[in-house]
Amino acid sequence: MPEKKRMQGVEGQAGHPALCVLPEIEKEDELLEAIWTLREDDRLSVETLIDSCRIDGCEEVLQSLAKTGWLEVKGQSIELLAKGERRAKELVRRHRLSLRLFYDLFSLDGAEAEACKFEHILSPEVTDSVCTLLGHPPNSPDGKPIPRGECCAMFKQEMRPLVAPLADLTPGEKAKIVFITPGSHSRLDRLSAMGVVPGSVVKLHQKRPSYVLQVGETMIAVDKEITREIFVKKV
Amino acid sequence: MHDHGSKPSKEQQQDLNKVLLIGNPNVGKSALFGLLTGKYVTVSNYPGTTVEVTYGNAVLNKVRTLVIDTPGVNSLIPMSEDEKVTRDMLLADRSDVIVQVADTKNLRRALLITIQLAEMGVPFILDLNMDDEAKSRGILIDQTGLSQLLGIEVVKTVAIRRSGIDRLLKGIQQPRPSTVAVRYDEAIEGGAHDIAALLPDAPISKRALALMVLAGDESLKSWLHVNLQDHVIAEIEKIRQQVQQKFNNSLGFLINQRRMGKADEILRRVMTLSEAGKGSTAAFYLGSWSMHPVMGIPILLGVLYAVYQFVGVLGAGIIVNFLEKTVFGEYLIPWAAKIVTFVLPVPFLQELIIGDYGIVSMALTYAIAIVLPIVGFFFFAFGLLEDSGYLPRLAVMVNRVFKIMGLNGKAVLPMILGLGCDTMATLTTRILETRKERMLVTFLLALGIPCSAQLGVVLGMISGISAAATALWIGTMVAVLFIVGYLTAQLLPGEPSDFVLELPPIRVPQLTNIMIKTLARVEWYLKEAVPLFVLGTLILFVADKIGFLAFIQKAADPIVVGFLGLPSKAAEALVIGFLRRDYGAAGLFMLSKQGLLDPVQTVVSLVVVTLFVPCIANFFMMIKEQGLKAAVLMVAFIFPFAVVVGGAMNWFLRSFHISL
Repeated sequence: MPEKKRMQGVEGQAGHPALCVLPEIEKEDELLEAIWTLREDDRLSVETLIDSCRIDGCEEVLQSLAKTGWLEVKGQSIELLAKGERRAKELVRRHRLSLRLFYDLFSLDGAEAEACKFEHILSPEVTDSVCTLLGHPPNSPDGKPIPRGECCAMFKQEMRPLVAPLADLTPGEKAKIVFITPGSHSRLDRLSAMGVVPGSVVKLHQKRPSYVLQVGETMIAVDKEITREIFVKKV
Repeated sequence: MHDHGSKPSKEQQQDLNKVLLIGNPNVGKSALFGLLTGKYVTVSNYPGTTVEVTYGNAVLNKVRTLVIDTPGVNSLIPMSEDEKVTRDMLLADRSDVIVQVADTKNLRRALLITIQLAEMGVPFILDLNMDDEAKSRGILIDQTGLSQLLGIEVVKTVAIRRSGIDRLLKGIQQPRPSTVAVRYDEAIEGGAHDIAALLPDAPISKRALALMVLAGDESLKSWLHVNLQDHVIAEIEKIRQQVQQKFNNSLGFLINQRRMGKADEILRRVMTLSEAGKGSTAAFYLGSWSMHPVMGIPILLGVLYAVYQFVGVLGAGIIVNFLEKTVFGEYLIPWAAKIVTFVLPVPFLQELIIGDYGIVSMALTYAIAIVLPIVGFFFFAFGLLEDSGYLPRLAVMVNRVFKIMGLNGKAVLPMILGLGCDTMATLTTRILETRKERMLVTFLLALGIPCSAQLGVVLGMISGISAAATALWIGTMVAVLFIVGYLTAQLLPGEPSDFVLELPPIRVPQLTNIMIKTLARVEWYLKEAVPLFVLGTLILFVADKIGFLAFIQKAADPIVVGFLGLPSKAAEALVIGFLRRDYGAAGLFMLSKQGLLDPVQTVVSLVVVTLFVPCIANFFMMIKEQGLKAAVLMVAFIFPFAVVVGGAMNWFLRSFHISL
């Protein structure tokens, strides 16, 4: 793996020489990510963090992160400080985008393991490119939100996304469904029973007054919100 | 009300060979049912025409057979009430033969059900229906190959043209469980295995049941509770949750996705697409235009205008005039009068038949001369619309507007059906997904959707006044529906559901089907309405004789005359309106013909009678579908509300001296 990317992958870490301390950095990354995820579930405390920790020397790493100003530990509570917040957000974003990339686009088994490797090495530019390529997906395949990056906020999409929500197609265009974000379970089940599953080719007929799509020989009228949850690749 | 909807007795069921028709919505199950049994059930071109199980007797292959038609399903894991009806049929007891009816051009989706039937281990055959339509689109299916892959008999039919029925009859002699099988993820297979071990015996395989449980089939819970102890159910639920935790997507979605994968694999081997039939047809463009944001509106108005001309002007005007004035007025009633005075020398009995409230002079004149031609014309026009595939496209047009009322476009289907018959439409609310939507639509149907008979009478009366009067009446109804709908939606708990509606292809309606359908509906109208018309007339007759009618008129005078500004005699029409709304409307029709109503009075009385309480049949259907409490509450609101709106309109028109 090229060193340069590694350096950028852990942005702002001037104190760490690129080659030798990677395992340490990865440990820090893992811990920050775990903190972010637990916080999302509203379960964050030192105890739950140590419980769910998958690395050795979890407590030491936590202390060293506190010492170097990434976060604050008060009793059971952990609070990310500004730069820790930023770093954790970037990490989670890279992880979940990678998951999307491997899981949906390449249909790789073991997407999780690949994503874990990638989150440490993607540069911010590459991350944004992947995000754009995937059409700025709102969720990772496990339904958790992907933290938004700068690219998502940009009004103009400079790079034509490879994967886009069905809602963004022009009427008459055909595309293959790559993934569907689980907005609501029953909605997904209903659509899947009508043949709207990843791999199916779908044609967008019209957008107004309602969205109408065609899968095989079936025409289905749906709400706009539903077409925002179906991500497609043009064919 | 539909006699074939009743369930045959247990003994009857056991004696007979049973054939169950199952399939996706709008694939022609009812058409096939009609062919096999000779019994007519409504056949239309939109999903959800059948919402109840229908039984019919037939002699197939020299064996007395009970044929069962079921509501269409997209998956045997039900998403709405009508789909649950079908799944419950499979759970209830074992059928001798299941015929899966498929739309050939949509084989992919049919295979999803085929796979589920295979998992259930039930013997069945696959009928590829609408083979002609598939061919014209360049879709060819290798029937022998498919039969080999599935391990069951596969036949091709075109039910509406009666083609292929002998092949189907031969096929149903050899039903077999299908050999097609899908392997799911290890964790799902493991969970299914563990759950299956806990399940009781059922007419379908335990693995299939376990997969339903895993897919999160809520509607299965009541069945489980009948058949299992609580701790076993808790254990099953635990296994389900453990399996679900291993996946990010819902298990139901993953299971369907794997089944679709298998279906695609089968399709690749049996389906060939030729470009020959491809390319867009006139029907396709018509379909697209009818839901175009701009062109859709003139098309809608055009359709409405055509129906108005056909039903209101031709049916309610010319034909009713002829029947009422000429046939009844000049011939039948005078003849009846002569015969009655000759045969029955008792004045009391004479009056009973030909008096003011006589069975011939009132009940039969109303039912046959006024309402019958109107409903007949309406059912015909409506049948054309149903079979063309236009109605679901209307849902596409109105979806956004309906969202304001906490409904989605799909709700337009029962509401349009309500223009045919509110009672049937109340049953059709089953196609809606949430209880909130079903309640709301049931309520709006009872409140402000005039049924065909009533609508025809109203159109007949109002078209004689002016376009402004017609617009005022329509505008008031639409405004009431939206305002009341919006406010009720705020009161009722629950979330609106997503708009997901399948659109059938636009088809040229078949005249024979429409004629049969119209006749079946007219027959049903006569059976249901005429006895009630006679009953209502008898009640009026008695009430008149004992002076009760005069008492009611007097008691109602402050409201009818004072508040609504109507003649005292209009109270009579409103009283019989309790029995049937069209009967009430017909009463007003007579008043207006006799010149007793001025234009303002006509509009006010029509507004009141349209909003007025639902007819008795509709009321019972509301109780059946939504419970007594809800039904009573609705009526308790509707009755005073109708009077208040009528009064407000009377006040408004009089105060501002608006002449219509």
